[in-house]
Amino acid sequence: MKLEKTLVLFLMLGINMCSAVCAAQSISQQNKNPMDIGLSTLFAAGVASKGNETISNLQGGGHDPSKIGFTLQNLELTLGGAVDPFFDAQTNIIMLLNDDGEAIVEIEEAFLLTKQLPAGLQIKAGQYYTEFGRHNTLHPHSWAFVDQPIVLSRLLGGDGLRSQGARVSWLSPLPWYAELFFGIQNAKGATGGSFLAGEHGHGEESETEDAIEYSIDGPEDFLYSARWLNGLDLNDNVSANLGFSGVWGPNANGVEFNKDLRTAIYGTDLYLKWQATNSSRGFPFVSWYTEYLFRSYEEIEEDVFTRKDTGWFSQLNYGFKPGWVAGLRLEMADSNEHDKHAIDGDERFRTALSLTWLPTEFSKIRLQYNYDDAHHVGEDVHLLWLQFGYNLGSHAAHVF
Amino acid sequence: MNKAIFFTICFFICTPTWAKLNVVTSTSDLAALVAQIGDDKVSVSSLTKGTRDPHYAQAKPSMIRKVFRADLLIIIGAEMEVGWLPALLRASRNSKVAIGQLGYLDVSDYIELKGKSLEPVSRDMGDVHAAGNPHYWLDPSLGLVMAKAIAERLSQLDTDNKEFYQESFAQFKKELEEKIIHWKAELKHLHGEKIIAYHTSLLYLADAFNFNIRGYVEPKPGLSPSPSHLKQLIKTIRAEKISYLLMEPYYEVRSAQLLQRKSNIKYVIIPQSVGANPNVNSYFDLFDNIVAALKSVEK
Repeated sequence: MKLEKTLVLFLMLGINMCSAVCAAQSISQQNKNPMDIGLSTLFAAGVASKGNETISNLQGGGHDPSKIGFTLQNLELTLGGAVDPFFDAQTNIIMLLNDDGEAIVEIEEAFLLTKQLPAGLQIKAGQYYTEFGRHNTLHPHSWAFVDQPIVLSRLLGGDGLRSQGARVSWLSPLPWYAELFFGIQNAKGATGGSFLAGEHGHGEESETEDAIEYSIDGPEDFLYSARWLNGLDLNDNVSANLGFSGVWGPNANGVEFNKDLRTAIYGTDLYLKWQATNSSRGFPFVSWYTEYLFRSYEEIEEDVFTRKDTGWFSQLNYGFKPGWVAGLRLEMADSNEHDKHAIDGDERFRTALSLTWLPTEFSKIRLQYNYDDAHHVGEDVHLLWLQFGYNLGSHAAHVF
Repeated sequence: MNKAIFFTICFFICTPTWAKLNVVTSTSDLAALVAQIGDDKVSVSSLTKGTRDPHYAQAKPSMIRKVFRADLLIIIGAEMEVGWLPALLRASRNSKVAIGQLGYLDVSDYIELKGKSLEPVSRDMGDVHAAGNPHYWLDPSLGLVMAKAIAERLSQLDTDNKEFYQESFAQFKKELEEKIIHWKAELKHLHGEKIIAYHTSLLYLADAFNFNIRGYVEPKPGLSPSPSHLKQLIKTIRAEKISYLLMEPYYEVRSAQLLQRKSNIKYVIIPQSVGANPNVNSYFDLFDNIVAALKSVEK
């Protein structure tokens, strides 16, 4: 019922948007855009060596293709621009089809961003992706692979860690690029699996969001996040980013047992990119990106028990000629969960190989092979995905 | 003690007023013009390198830091930086260089752009800019317009050195006007010459020196050449007896080599921007090197 209402709203918005797009087009002829409007879409088709039941557990990301056959991964409407001289705003409304073909609408992001604060300060407020690591803030159309890394699906949630709140960031006057972020967000919300959205302390996203009743009694009931991001050019061809992140908050298991049980997640990320001196359309390039995460999750089994999860992924992408990118991703995840067959806590190793062709900046076709070795499945699984993505409307930002 | 703290804070927070005007440009050509006009009164750096196509740059962390500290940001405009500048401006949160401020100079506002589309532009047409073709720095007479816009803006922002900027502009104007006559004389033998270009980026250069562009290696702007398009191009080259193919150093040469093998055309690599090769360090060098490259090829 709720869903139908949002669907109607979305459609109405879509119709209005159509007229807005037409208006924007005629205005953009005069080189003045009051609002940037873009639509990006990702479709995937897949085959696998195991059935859908197994695959849907392996592909833990909310936008991962997770079944044999065809999947609409992500249909994203991006609206953004300058509100006035003081604020910028951005909204990302997404729609996807679940396994039953029903439409799901989500407000992925909707935030204000300050422009006039002094001393390198900036505030973001609204619904937004927590600045934790690099991948968590990337929208699916900017990913280098078809699916989300395992450790992120497990620790930050299938849809990534995002919630309503505010963060302040400070661009320091240090001689290299160094930015600090501090944020406070609601700990409850459909997308905070490690916090108050989890049903039973396993970090799985709750299907019935209302299962956990909780009240805010003090500042300890919010989610706090911090990030320190550094960047510099090692030379004319190589640029690097190094980040450290942490996020702290109460968890659902504590609410269930009326105890103050906490979750803490820490991560570090390193991104290196080489670009040739003479490059055309940004090619050739090589990028290497690695992220490591650690979570401690207090839960109750006879006594208070701290569950520990770790995981990492490392991906190499080689843009060998204009429009062509080859990729390799290795990843591992594990936990001290007693039940070694738990879907979200077993020992897991996955390798992905991908080949992407970008005919222009606005479209891409990607072939990806996954070799998945998950303890809970008991045998190796092979998956093959073909993805098609496109962008309409405003020019999407080039991701560094 | 308190004073020391105050000055330390002031050093970090406010831009020190005694410092030089800090100018950041989107391309190396703009930086070269700023250096020409501002000389030692400004410090200038370019966000992109002359060896790469500025359209495909990315908002790197080092660029965020540069824009964050800039007093003046100068861009080519006409959608040249559309893929990365909005994200960069947002991340660098510098209200001095926000759109519409004195610290933001879009030079295309001062240029009569070619290739402006009167009809709606569709991405069916490839990488076509509705606002017009942004490669205008390759017409040396437009270099003068660019330098004038820069000199005016520097004078507005740094009134103490207004006379200096006006004088160096006058000097630049005199020198450039003489040079233009010289360059045109040097390339007189190519007047009206039919050429092929790799991309639509050489439109202004062709018009400035009176070349007649008969086709492009790219089937549509921004698309990689297909075998069928190259076949068609060979027919055109043979039929019209075209002798020169002009291209930037960052494009693949295999298509050009193929065309050279299959017809009488010769490909010439043109340094399209300051910094495109180590010999090109100023706006004058740019055309000296283009002229030299074109003269070095015999018909």
